[in-house]
Amino acid sequence: MEDSAAQADSLWTSIVSFEYWPEIGEGTIDTLVMTGFSLLFTVLIGLPVGVVLFLTSWSQRAPDLFVARLQSWTYTTLSFVVNILRSVPFLILLILLIPATRWLVGTSLGVQGSIPPLVIAAAPFFARLIETLLREVDRGVFEACRSMGATTRQMVFWALLPETFTGILAAITVTAIALVGYSAMSGVIGGGGLGDLAVRYGYQRFNTPVMIVTVAILVVLVQLIQLLGDRLVARVSHK
Amino acid sequence: MMVLRRAAVKMSAGYEAMPRTRLGSDARLCKTSGPVFAPDGFTQLIELRHVGKTYQTATGAFQALRDIDLDIRRGEVFGIIGRSGAGKSTLLRLLNLLERPTQGAVRIEGQDITQLDAPGLRKLRQHIGMVFQHFNLLSSRTVYENVRFPLRVAGELSRSEQQARVMEVLQLVGLTDQARKYPRQLSGGQRQRVGVARALANRPNLLLCDEATSALDPETTQSILRLLLEINRTLRITVVLITHGMDVIRAVADRVAILDHGRLVELGDVIDVFLNPQAETTRALLAESGVETESWHGSVGESGRVLRLTYKGEAVALPVLSRYGRELGLDFSILQGSVGRIKDMPYGQLTISVAQEDDARVAQLLAALTGHGIHHQVLR
Repeated sequence: MEDSAAQADSLWTSIVSFEYWPEIGEGTIDTLVMTGFSLLFTVLIGLPVGVVLFLTSWSQRAPDLFVARLQSWTYTTLSFVVNILRSVPFLILLILLIPATRWLVGTSLGVQGSIPPLVIAAAPFFARLIETLLREVDRGVFEACRSMGATTRQMVFWALLPETFTGILAAITVTAIALVGYSAMSGVIGGGGLGDLAVRYGYQRFNTPVMIVTVAILVVLVQLIQLLGDRLVARVSHK
Repeated sequence: MMVLRRAAVKMSAGYEAMPRTRLGSDARLCKTSGPVFAPDGFTQLIELRHVGKTYQTATGAFQALRDIDLDIRRGEVFGIIGRSGAGKSTLLRLLNLLERPTQGAVRIEGQDITQLDAPGLRKLRQHIGMVFQHFNLLSSRTVYENVRFPLRVAGELSRSEQQARVMEVLQLVGLTDQARKYPRQLSGGQRQRVGVARALANRPNLLLCDEATSALDPETTQSILRLLLEINRTLRITVVLITHGMDVIRAVADRVAILDHGRLVELGDVIDVFLNPQAETTRALLAESGVETESWHGSVGESGRVLRLTYKGEAVALPVLSRYGRELGLDFSILQGSVGRIKDMPYGQLTISVAQEDDARVAQLLAALTGHGIHHQVLR
């Protein structure tokens, strides 16, 4: 009883007399930068991929046989690639991608080296979210667009994306949170950020206070992202 | 354009208050080439020739439409009625090729539209309005943006012209003050008015209505039907509508086609179809909407003649009947009767029995009635 009280006391003193705040600050910024940039590229890649997946999926097949075959081929290929990327655990993907990352950004370490694997892991996930969202759009909207003589491009940009905009914001929120988690994992192979701190101090040097502070910051970060996402959705929703 | 714009801005009252003669005579308001309205009925807007539609399903081929031959006249309100699954929805969608026929030709203004390439078809669709049962508006866009959508798609007008046009059609449906609202904030009837405004934005000469009132309550249904009728009359837009309710047909249609299991079973002027239905399906549909013509069987004895008298227009059957009854010494009892209006045409239909079994006098009576323009049928 006394023993555990003393333990808690020493934990408390070590948090109070914590000397790692500069590292923690740097790690937080690195995590934010990694999450931010990888989120940006994830959306830039995942959104069009999701739209293409949807437009080539079964429900959207053209009556023209040749076009339908082309759609079918595109869907199968794209879907296969997306599934493969999603089926490889992120930690293994990180290691597998080291050569590709080096070639792409010159290093596989630090903030820079983490972004490509993060994007490659998150973009397929985001693309599937977008595909699912578009499937939920009322059939009638497509029919109305077609009856007005809209091109596919007009339908996508003027009807489908606006109609799913709140859903897209929610999907971005979910993906951002997943990216915070993934970015921490990249610490294992020297990725930088809070995950890197937790691995180097908390795991390798048994520094529990660093571990706790890291986790606490991650928890706060995730809460803030979710809160921000929910607020944005509530603001733009007209349903 | 300027004149129109100013007019649209100035008039803030509802559609009802629009100066109809001006609207109707203003050629710029309707994008029709050639004669706008042909009373002799020889100007066909749409011709369907031996049209069929077969769907390939997992269980084999399903024939949704078989050998449909149909002409739709310029300026008329043409109704298509049938039960669910009769093929009416498919038939309507053949007119803008949302569905492609597997047999036959669909001609609009003499042109076979199945031969159009993709851009040609889009162009055609931009000038055919379509109104849907569930409105199919964009929930994320304001009323204004929803109505502007087809104008953006067509890309023929500048931004300020688009604005003027949107306000003009919103004026037409009486929603100018709702432009900034979102569909969610409107009632069902108002949403359908937005749907109609959107369909009219590109000044079509053909308006397709897909069960446009089926999701609305009876009162709202009436107001939307009145709106469609006004559009037909003032803008001279041909309206093709599908419905499963005879009431809708009776309220607005000039001619009607009855579909049953993909076949066209009856086609004619609405009043003739109502008063003298030929096909079994038609009779059944009429009976369902309260227009019962066979219930006299229960209210008459075994003997005596039963006659059905039908008149259209201002002919009034009863005084004529009582006069000849007196002169010929015949006694009638009325078994069934209805008088009313179909669209604008007054009509009456009486089923009577004659007490006296005297064919000579009955024949005299029938001849006299024919002389007064009263159509008759000897039922027994």
